[in-house]
Amino acid sequence: MATAHAHETHHSPLALEYEPGLPLTNGKLIVWLFLSTEIMFFAGLIGTYIVLRFGAPTWPKPHDVHLSEPIGAFNTFVLICSSVTIVLAFEAAKQNKAGLAKAWMLATFLLGSVFLGVKAYEYDAKFAHGIYPWKPHSPIHERPDYYYGQAVRDRLAEPDILSRTGALYAQAARTELGETPPSEITTANQQLVQDIIIWLPSGTAGADLTEEQKTALTKLQGAMAGMLTAEQSEALAELWPVVVAQLEPLSAEEMHAVQDLKFVSDKVNETQQNNPSSQNPATLAEVGQKIMPSAVPHGTTSDHHGSAQGEAGEAHPEGLNDKFDWLKLPILIPGGNMWASTYFLLTGFHAIHVAVGLIVFIIMLFLYLGRKRAGLIENAGLYWHFVDLVWIFLFPLLYLF
Amino acid sequence: MAEHKPSDPEHRHGAEEVAHGHIVHREDLRVDHQMETEHHEHDHGGLAKYIYVFIALCVLTGASFFTYSEYWPFRDEPRVGWAFMMAVSCTKAMLVILFFMHVKYEANWKYVLTIPAGMMSIFLMLMLVPDIGMRTHWYSEERELHSAEPIAEVIAEYETGQHGDAKQHQ
Repeated sequence: MATAHAHETHHSPLALEYEPGLPLTNGKLIVWLFLSTEIMFFAGLIGTYIVLRFGAPTWPKPHDVHLSEPIGAFNTFVLICSSVTIVLAFEAAKQNKAGLAKAWMLATFLLGSVFLGVKAYEYDAKFAHGIYPWKPHSPIHERPDYYYGQAVRDRLAEPDILSRTGALYAQAARTELGETPPSEITTANQQLVQDIIIWLPSGTAGADLTEEQKTALTKLQGAMAGMLTAEQSEALAELWPVVVAQLEPLSAEEMHAVQDLKFVSDKVNETQQNNPSSQNPATLAEVGQKIMPSAVPHGTTSDHHGSAQGEAGEAHPEGLNDKFDWLKLPILIPGGNMWASTYFLLTGFHAIHVAVGLIVFIIMLFLYLGRKRAGLIENAGLYWHFVDLVWIFLFPLLYLF
Repeated sequence: MAEHKPSDPEHRHGAEEVAHGHIVHREDLRVDHQMETEHHEHDHGGLAKYIYVFIALCVLTGASFFTYSEYWPFRDEPRVGWAFMMAVSCTKAMLVILFFMHVKYEANWKYVLTIPAGMMSIFLMLMLVPDIGMRTHWYSEERELHSAEPIAEVIAEYETGQHGDAKQHQ
């Protein structure tokens, strides 16, 4: 602290000199103090994630939750580049090269926007698969237990899902049975014909039916494919052209998917009867696999790190929720809810910080970035480097562990 | 004791004479001066330094991917991989802090900033371990009934439950 020992004689008025406590400008000091609070903020969040993850009974592998390491690595690269560009903007401003500084600043802003865009794409992929924390109950289930089977069953029983799956079964039946109605009902095609009969009332509602066809429709109401009378068989034959016209045949892949859907439906409906095998977790795990398969088959040993490695470059196998995006059946990811909570919390807060940084850059793009503004750029750069720092830790913790 | 120094005509900061006698150069306050003196030695080499750091960061990012390649020798022990990745992250962080944030060239206040912050980060995390990291130790049976578990274990438990103790599962 400067002390003033005034000379009592002919000395000029006291020239007090402000002696700062630190060799920093106020702005820079403030930014560093702010960054120290940010360090505590993210240390709390990241520390919580580490503790939650390693204390959890189980944790999903990256591919189970549709996390793509290459995309994360690309984001890391983008953010590192933006750190370099902001430093170059600072250097240019120090040399009073305002145009160059502004160019580097623009590059930083664009790279930051790319980061946010990629993040949005990643989030969209998660949401599309039904992975996000959700009240009252997220579609992610932790155990292949009775409650999971019940949740799948409840979803399948919803009216609009029921009508759409009914239409799918009818389509599959039409694909198998072909252009002409079956001449004879055997055990092989009984279920298929039943599917068509069930679908007929709602499916032909919009079609233009002739009078004969309408009467045929009434005759088939409540008919059972296993016990068709001659009259009903005729009625079916009468309506067959409408069936063929209304239902598009399915491709082989789609047929396979419908088989899986039938499997799932049968298995979870088994649970409703007091069937001892109804709560079998092996069966329910299979159901979960059909709905959203993991990249590595279950039952392999807990080569937790090792088995995920081979899959890094492969596309994930498609399940029912992928093939029919309206289906949205509950999914089975042990540890998935905790994963979703921590992932979205950490990346969400980080993305907010990135967005704030971008706002700062946008404002600065309207200023003249000469030597006088170099301090401002330095401070903005310090904040941006901190954001990069947090991502440097988040990337391995979330994507690679 | 304080002497009255005559104002020095060569002194660049005439207005900054402190009353108690010695001339304090407030060079580091004035931004452009700071640029010219402190940064002078790496003003020309500075850009190259940033490029080197950038290349090092890219290499290190690639290195953290190395644990995923087929040449990684510790695939059976994931903890080695985790330790390696944390070491790589800390190195990258140090590079960004020291060079991009310029902390290497700052005065001693950087220790006041970094050391407590570093201690806090580690301590805050360790504090959470007994209650949250080890929460499953204190789970009641009913809580365990509904908690997540690796599917293979759920299946194995169900089968031992079904068939009594006769079956031994690995």
